[in-house]
Amino acid sequence: MNALPSAINPASVGLTTRRATELLTGWLRQGGLMAVVVLYTLFAALPFGWIATMSVRTTSEISARHFAWPEQWHWEKFRIAWVDSNFAQYFWNSALVVVSAVAIVTLLGAAAAHCLARYNFRGNRLVYFILFSSIVFPPQIILISLFQVLVEYDLYNSRLGLTLVYVSLQLPMTVYLLESFFARIPQDLFDAAKIDGYSDFEIFWRIVLPVGMPAIATTIILNFIQLWNEFLFAVVLLSDQDKRTLPIGIRAYMGDYFQDIGMIATGMMIAVIPVVILYAFFSEKLIQGMTAGAVK
Amino acid sequence: MLAAWLAAPEADSRRASLPTVMAFLAPALLVYAALTAYPVVRTFYNSFFNIGDIASTDFVGWAHYRAVLHDEMFWKAVRNTAIWSVVGPVLDVSIGLLLALALYAGVPFARFLRVAWFTPVLLSYVVVGIMWVWIYNYDWGIVNVWLRAIGLESWAKAWLGDPAYALGSVIVTHAWKWAGFNMVVCLAALHSLPSEVLEAADLDNCGWRAKLIHIIVPMLWPTLLNLYILAFIGKMKVFDLVFIMTEGGPVWSTETVSTYVYKRAFNWNTFDLGYPSAIAVVWFLVVIGFVVGLNLLFRRRERLEY
Amino acid sequence: MAEVQLQGLFKNYKGAARPAVQDVSFTVQDGEFMVLLGPSGCGKSTTLRMIAGLESISDGQLVIGGRVVNEVAAKDRDIAMVFQSYALYPHMTVADNLSFGLRRRKIDEAQIAARVKSAASILGLGELLERKPFALSGGQRQRVALGRAIVREPQVFLFDEPLSNLDAALRVATRNELVRLHHRLGATMVYVTHDQVEAMTMGQRICVMNGGQVAQIGRPLDVYKAPADVFVAQFLGNPPMNILAAQLQAAGGEAQALTGDGAVLPLRRWRDRLAGMRAVKLGMRPEELSIESPDTAGPALLRGVVAAVEPLGAETLVNVMLDGNAGEVIARLHRDADAALGQRVSVYVPEAALYLFDAATGKAIEAP
Repeated sequence: MNALPSAINPASVGLTTRRATELLTGWLRQGGLMAVVVLYTLFAALPFGWIATMSVRTTSEISARHFAWPEQWHWEKFRIAWVDSNFAQYFWNSALVVVSAVAIVTLLGAAAAHCLARYNFRGNRLVYFILFSSIVFPPQIILISLFQVLVEYDLYNSRLGLTLVYVSLQLPMTVYLLESFFARIPQDLFDAAKIDGYSDFEIFWRIVLPVGMPAIATTIILNFIQLWNEFLFAVVLLSDQDKRTLPIGIRAYMGDYFQDIGMIATGMMIAVIPVVILYAFFSEKLIQGMTAGAVK
Repeated sequence: MLAAWLAAPEADSRRASLPTVMAFLAPALLVYAALTAYPVVRTFYNSFFNIGDIASTDFVGWAHYRAVLHDEMFWKAVRNTAIWSVVGPVLDVSIGLLLALALYAGVPFARFLRVAWFTPVLLSYVVVGIMWVWIYNYDWGIVNVWLRAIGLESWAKAWLGDPAYALGSVIVTHAWKWAGFNMVVCLAALHSLPSEVLEAADLDNCGWRAKLIHIIVPMLWPTLLNLYILAFIGKMKVFDLVFIMTEGGPVWSTETVSTYVYKRAFNWNTFDLGYPSAIAVVWFLVVIGFVVGLNLLFRRRERLEY
Repeated sequence: MAEVQLQGLFKNYKGAARPAVQDVSFTVQDGEFMVLLGPSGCGKSTTLRMIAGLESISDGQLVIGGRVVNEVAAKDRDIAMVFQSYALYPHMTVADNLSFGLRRRKIDEAQIAARVKSAASILGLGELLERKPFALSGGQRQRVALGRAIVREPQVFLFDEPLSNLDAALRVATRNELVRLHHRLGATMVYVTHDQVEAMTMGQRICVMNGGQVAQIGRPLDVYKAPADVFVAQFLGNPPMNILAAQLQAAGGEAQALTGDGAVLPLRRWRDRLAGMRAVKLGMRPEELSIESPDTAGPALLRGVVAAVEPLGAETLVNVMLDGNAGEVIARLHRDADAALGQRVSVYVPEAALYLFDAATGKAIEAP
């Protein structure tokens, strides 16, 4: 068995060819993987890149050649869109409504979540279920009657009305995310605080909020992005042009200026920038927050 | 002093007095009651009336419901929504799984790619919709330009203008937005697979393909199912994308129940809020029915303790 | 069955200060039960995984059954492994768990059925064949993991701390089962554990590892009675061997050890091996010590105060704090031993029970 030198030992020759084929299939697999990765990255990124380049080219340039790299970078289009086309107003409306709604829903949601997570009382699980189950409701079930309600209380076509509706839209998810986090805060912290004489509200303010800050931050970011992009309720509950939020504004823009592709692209970039900035800083938190509970 | 502390009713920090509990819950419950619970009830109520204008209501009993059953456009919308809800998730989840597997198998810049591929999830439907309207443009959209460039002229279609292709095109756009979400979840699930089980599979003579088919996918099944259900529910509700891209056209081929309700309520030649409320109620019950049913069906299958 | 030879194995991880496994060499004879023993981080699991093919070998040679297997894939090495967490396929029944690997190797169905049946009967898995892992207890899962290894009929069995996840009573029962299994199959087995009781009771030979290197190899009792260094001496035995620092002095031509509490211990056995040394470490096993009253006179008597008394029922452990900050010794005494907390005592150390270790390197100094 050991008589032949290893170079021509049949056993080890077999071994080398097998190793060679393993290496080859390994490279092919890597190549296949790389192809998939590159293709999908193009698929995901190209549309966005296209819009980005179009946002700095004028519509006439675009009509001439739809896929060119900008020759002249028309940054002034951003200014024009902002000032002349009312995007500043839309941006302001969105900011006002969304920031207020997020602030309110965070406070209300945290208070409710803390109460549900911490205190044992009859009906605790029932309340939780009621709040939580509304996540699956299709929006149409409340769309029409909300419209009626807002009209009756003179909140139709008002940013205040929309803000309140936004709060109600995000409440279930906020309570859900915060409750599961708050429930994990060790009971000992609360017992010690009680012994130290803190009242229930002080405990909430001084312990739960600071300790729960990671989860709260996540819900703030999540709520912000979902409300910033919200469309259906804004379209139904606002009618004045100067009260429009950004998504409505862009769409209306598309309606009014259907052929002015360049300006629409610029408008879209303006709408996307806050989200991109948030994402650049908080990508990890965002991803975790949005996918929480989906892994089983 | 110790005795007093022991006797105090709220020394147990797990119990709080009713006023305290109410103080924490009341604001949220108030908002919920006023803007979610009450509207739901009211929609049910509305469905039994003709509501010609905000003030006037006209009791019609079950008439609306009977009309819904015979409403051809409603059924078209249901068909479209059903196709979307059943087919869409398959696309979403399988692309998500494939991408996650690619990252898991180890490609360079995996961490960057994970973040980059998630980006479409964050864009608003308005942006996504307009983007893809342009991509699908017959004359100069990327799809057709590229098809013509590689010589497949006959395959270039009016993607959003042709009733035969419109629904499929919109579904693809929707999948484009959501694949990244499924990818991230699948990736997290893959990373949570116990490495020793995979090593045991290695020792059991499993190549990467056998491992995938026999070990990885079966172990990932609860997560995949969960994602499918999430996607299913999401697509039953879809409105924004359709509204932006096709407004339900051409010829109702992309009409979904959501867009139909909106149109009947706010964009119809006769103003009546009662009928669309009936549709909303029907759809609400259908969605809830599915959620409950799916949960019951699959609750038992989820015990894959490692 | 086959012989496993490790020749100078090294494992380097990128960026690590020292190799995880350093120059490990030993041979597991055909049919032998070898235990790799050591604290966590000593490299025993890494060594096992290199034998399995789950870790690549940075340097050195691994020979299984006469062939060099460094570059051979894990599945082709004809080994089977039982993992610490059992690693059962959670979505398959017990029967499928057992037969999965065989199916992948395209063994015919009749053979598979026969092997599964035989393994199930050896391990008492007959009624569990249709269950899934989540419906099994820890001990049952462990047996399925064993069964999965047995049906492979491999040349070598590898075990990675398989008993750590079991509760104490089950651990004892399973230990004995494994020994019986080894007896029955006559297979070559390499077993990794940090538990010295498992090592002592199961291994035909044990290999003690520390810091990535082999500290000592030998039969359990041999290693217990003649440890190669302080580490091995203290790792085996519970309570561990007492180690005291001592100065050397010569008196009447003989070496003597002087401990911090003023005791003088003659070291006649070592004759001239201690020439030129000034300090040494003394080792003494708790079971060799006896407690005397403080009035007793004579050499080899440590002096101190009783710091703790632990009556365990079958025996009593007495902890004595020595004078002069010399340290602590634990003595294992008969259950009715009479010692009280705070009592002044002498501890008698018979010279035959003494171990000497180099003060700097910790290596044992043998008596000629």
